[in-house]
Amino acid sequence: MKRYLSLLGEYFLQYAKVRLAYKGDFLISVFTTLVATAFGLGLVLILFRRVPHLADWTFYEILFLYGFSLLPLSLFNVVSINLYYFGDVYIIQGKFDRILLRPIHSLFQILSEQFRLEALSDSVIGLSIVLYATRRLNLTFGPADWLFLAFAALCGFLIYVSVFVMLTCVSFWMEDRVGVIPPVYSMLAFGRYPLKIYNVFLQFLLSWIIPFAFATFYPSAHLLRHVEYRPYLFLLPVVTLLFAGLSLALWNRGVENYSSTGS
Amino acid sequence: MTGEVEAEGLTKDFRTFQRKEGIRGAIENLFVRQYQTVRAVDAVSFHIRPGEMVGYIGPNGAGKSTTVKMLTGILEPTAGRAAANGYVPYRDRTRYTRTIGAVFGQRTQLWWDIAVVESFRLLQRIYDVSDADYAARMEIFDQVLKIKRYLNTPVRKLSLGERMRCDLAASLLHNPPLLFLDEPTIGLDVVAKTNVRQFLKEVNARFGTTMLLTTHDLADIEELCRRLMIIDHGRVLFDGALAELKRQLWRHLQVKIELKEPAQAPALESLGANSIFRERLDELTYRLTFDRSEHSAGEVIRRIVAAVDVRDIFIQEEPIEEIVRRIYTGPSVLEIGR
Repeated sequence: MKRYLSLLGEYFLQYAKVRLAYKGDFLISVFTTLVATAFGLGLVLILFRRVPHLADWTFYEILFLYGFSLLPLSLFNVVSINLYYFGDVYIIQGKFDRILLRPIHSLFQILSEQFRLEALSDSVIGLSIVLYATRRLNLTFGPADWLFLAFAALCGFLIYVSVFVMLTCVSFWMEDRVGVIPPVYSMLAFGRYPLKIYNVFLQFLLSWIIPFAFATFYPSAHLLRHVEYRPYLFLLPVVTLLFAGLSLALWNRGVENYSSTGS
Repeated sequence: MTGEVEAEGLTKDFRTFQRKEGIRGAIENLFVRQYQTVRAVDAVSFHIRPGEMVGYIGPNGAGKSTTVKMLTGILEPTAGRAAANGYVPYRDRTRYTRTIGAVFGQRTQLWWDIAVVESFRLLQRIYDVSDADYAARMEIFDQVLKIKRYLNTPVRKLSLGERMRCDLAASLLHNPPLLFLDEPTIGLDVVAKTNVRQFLKEVNARFGTTMLLTTHDLADIEELCRRLMIIDHGRVLFDGALAELKRQLWRHLQVKIELKEPAQAPALESLGANSIFRERLDELTYRLTFDRSEHSAGEVIRRIVAAVDVRDIFIQEEPIEEIVRRIYTGPSVLEIGR
């Protein structure tokens, strides 16, 4: 574990060097990421100015949720690019052989192949929105709240990684280039709004099948003192560990299948 | 530290999916799938002793790469057993890969965008190589490979030859007792090829590294390996000393000539008479194949030049495909060298 953490740091540093070597390219990506987030934020502001309440949630509460949802998402987007092209680059083009020749876990190598550092700019925006919203809501956050916020963001990040790793595993059995990732990726946006606005089916789906609500909505609800969601709070680490474990097991099965079929 | 490799009845089947053509076929593919099993490696057995350098050759699609993939732990054998460095490659892959090196001529294992030295540093961490060992080995590698001058260049900016040298050094940073090389000289110019071969020889002499290399270039084998195995259609056709192969099968030279005038072609016929095999490639180009033990190259060329006006002449040893063909068509040589 310690070895992997230090290797992660090493991989990250190397990639940071590469990105900073292409300064123009890096600055442009930071800029486009910021613009994309600003547009998203603008849309929320315009929409909810007109609808001051949404499923009992006030405008500033929704703003808080939006800001918080950017935290796990931006962390995920630092590594998501590696999963997006996995089937094409590693399985179809055969780069996965090289991964298997190295004495570290294959999933670790895949996730740390590239880091999109510019995605972290969304975290800064998200955190600013959270701060602004808490002030407007007259919420006072103690150290425990901030600690929980960081912990929940990390859990959300792990949930996203787990879900998309499982979807990526499809490539081990089926030959397809992009596959099922894009439609589920667009589902990430569902986590930005109060769960109650969705119908029962979607609520169930987002809680238990593709648990994006655990990444954004339930932690935000807790931080905004919506006590009715408290039971979910204790389920957060359980769901996170469960999905992380499932995705790792599925990945290992996929690698076994790759080794026996060679495709 | 063993460097020993053993394969016993090593077999690999691939199941390929037969796609039907057209839109109707595409829809049928969704429901009914027809598979075909192809045996890529068929009950291959051999034993490689520590410190040996063994050539593994054969035509395209013969099963060379599949064998190497099974021995490096990438693929699980369908049947049979493999053991290397005291591990079962596929089963103990993570621990096993720490004890081997692998070089694939077609692909680099270095990170494309970062400087060579940064890739080396990452590999140093991955394989837990101490700073002292790292520095000492770089010094040794640099003596032959001369890689220090482009350590700070990103890999994507290196020529193929430079990249290959760096890849070789990278694969040996952790001083593995066993090294797999898949087409290590493919696409390299003569100077780079010589350099790579010299390096491999020195590493073998200095560290006793066992090497198994697949190649198309018989000169690689001649320079490096005392022993070679020939594989085709997944079976080992020959396993023995290079000297034995040369005496038995690899005796032929090919001379390709280009005439100045097509009208001169009939004059070549007199050459074909006594055991010089003549082929017409086009109206100006002919290929003559002869047995070195019966004719010397000098004698054949003298006779060609005396008979016809030659624009161009090119001599080469028989390619591996021809030798494989001779094994099939010739007298029973299957047991040679066993």
